[in-house]
Amino acid sequence: MPRASTTPPSSILAIHGDGNQMALEGVLDVRSLDQAHSALGQWLTQRKDRVLDLRKLSGLDTPGAMFLCELRDRHVELTGISAEHEQLLDLVCGLGRKELVKPKAVPGWREFIIRIGRGADAFGRDTYDVIAFVGKSLNALLRSLFHPSLWRPAAISRQITETGVNALPIVGVMAIMISFVIGYQGLVQLRPFGGQDYTINLVAVSILREMGVLITAIMVAGRSGSAFAAELGVMKTREEIDALEVMGLGPMELLVVPRLVAIIITLPLLTFFADVMGLVGGAILSQVELHISPLPFLDRVRLAVDTSDLFVGVVKAPIFAFFIGAVGCMHGLRVRGSAESVGRETTRAVVKAIFLVIIFDALFSILFERLGI
Amino acid sequence: MNAGNKKSLEPILSAHGIVNRFGNQLVHDKLDLDIRQGEILGIAGGSGSGKSVLLKTLTGLHRPNSGKVLLNGKPIASLGSNEKAEQIGVLFQRGALFSSLSVAQNVMLPMREHTDLPVEAQEKLAAVKLELAGMPADSAAKFPSELSGGMVKRAALARALALDPRILFLDEPTSDLDSLTASGIDELIVQLNKGLGVTVVIVTHDLNTLFGICDRVAMLVDRRITVDTVDKLKRSDEPWIHDLLHSPRAQGALHARKPGHGIG
Repeated sequence: MPRASTTPPSSILAIHGDGNQMALEGVLDVRSLDQAHSALGQWLTQRKDRVLDLRKLSGLDTPGAMFLCELRDRHVELTGISAEHEQLLDLVCGLGRKELVKPKAVPGWREFIIRIGRGADAFGRDTYDVIAFVGKSLNALLRSLFHPSLWRPAAISRQITETGVNALPIVGVMAIMISFVIGYQGLVQLRPFGGQDYTINLVAVSILREMGVLITAIMVAGRSGSAFAAELGVMKTREEIDALEVMGLGPMELLVVPRLVAIIITLPLLTFFADVMGLVGGAILSQVELHISPLPFLDRVRLAVDTSDLFVGVVKAPIFAFFIGAVGCMHGLRVRGSAESVGRETTRAVVKAIFLVIIFDALFSILFERLGI
Repeated sequence: MNAGNKKSLEPILSAHGIVNRFGNQLVHDKLDLDIRQGEILGIAGGSGSGKSVLLKTLTGLHRPNSGKVLLNGKPIASLGSNEKAEQIGVLFQRGALFSSLSVAQNVMLPMREHTDLPVEAQEKLAAVKLELAGMPADSAAKFPSELSGGMVKRAALARALALDPRILFLDEPTSDLDSLTASGIDELIVQLNKGLGVTVVIVTHDLNTLFGICDRVAMLVDRRITVDTVDKLKRSDEPWIHDLLHSPRAQGALHARKPGHGIG
């Protein structure tokens, strides 16, 4: 045995002898290798016709065998090798013992430029992919709309539960919290001017026009966009998508459309819910900080906002929903091979969905300003 | 017995009275197994007979409901992580190579954590282990996703050998491989067993592996284990063992078997 295994692994190595004769006694392994190296180093360079006696060597492992092979290569005669050690030596010495092939090192500045190039290339491809996939899913969506046979009510209802109903608690809590955040900022800024009552206008307008839909969209992108990417990604790694295609069932119609329909239905509803909860948050805030009870609060809200403010918020929701869903599904279907890729694509789906939501929100702001809504 | 390869009857690893239960399902019922120093032991059994659970129990990854596993006479649960890593190497079914590390980095990871070798020495050693496992030299810089099925197994084997373990567990080393690659792996196992003197435990469905290279075979039947050489097992009257060893596939595998193996 290379190492005595019934006794705990000990690494006691003794090196003795002089002149051209040296002997190893004990165990030559990873731990005693350093000792052997330093003890024999000088001996190797100074002498000729060297002989190393291994009769008393009781243990040897592969690093030790490699060391002995190196000695052999440098014309040291090894004597008294036991049969077991001989086998290990034969195995290890018989190998090429080549250097490890390492990837070519690229200088830092080139690496940097390569990264920029790769990033730009990836961005270009991504943009193209998103546009192509948006087109494809719009096409599938419209086609399903006009072909009742392609409707999948069961799948859609399941997705509505997943993306909508199950998201109610978190969206509600977030909306209340955000209205607190806005309310307290307004309170601090407006109080010196005696206009702290205008906090109500601030909260109502910002929740209805912007924050309600934005917070909901970001939440849904994190919850459902990632879920779409992960679900489809796992199906892709298990070849379920390929199985669908072989059976003549398009993944677009069967998997993507129900998800898109569901998210387009639920996001506006969730937005409305977030608006209501945001106003509830505002009511709590005004009760506590302004001592205005809920009914007068509602009166103030009615004066501050009108239907167009609610409309401006809610109308954005289906468009955000479509992009969140499409980007999630696109990344899910882009998964290649391993499970690692599922994680990567899911992250990208969420980042891209939130990015798109904010871009479109900015565009809508400009558009509504121009339209004077 | 192979010349020069001392197979002592002394067990390197022994399991006593192993009971594994999942809910109401009893997987192992007071199972005993002794793995002898230097042997190649095959573990076979039908689907769901608890082969994987047994492997996890033997390697200390799973704590049995009762019973104990002794490695060199010491309970495996009491071993420190360092000691365990030096004694046990495991080749997982799908390789379990870390996908974010290159092949060479995978092999060097246990060395980095458990030895004081300088990086250059680790690299040299990793190159030797990869060559021992039959990996081409240019594969060291590759990532697991770039490897074929057989190469994944070889790379994982190189990693399992990184610390010169005394006992090597192989979970389905030849599954998902074409028969030519599979025989290559079988040969490699024999070569490592002889050259490194490492005890090998193979969990496998592959009858060629069981008949061709295993000194003894442990059959998991009815929550118990029967261990013997293939020739003696063939005379067993346990129906499952009899059916398995007299199936047409078994006959084919027996014909393909090399003389001198499996008679321990």
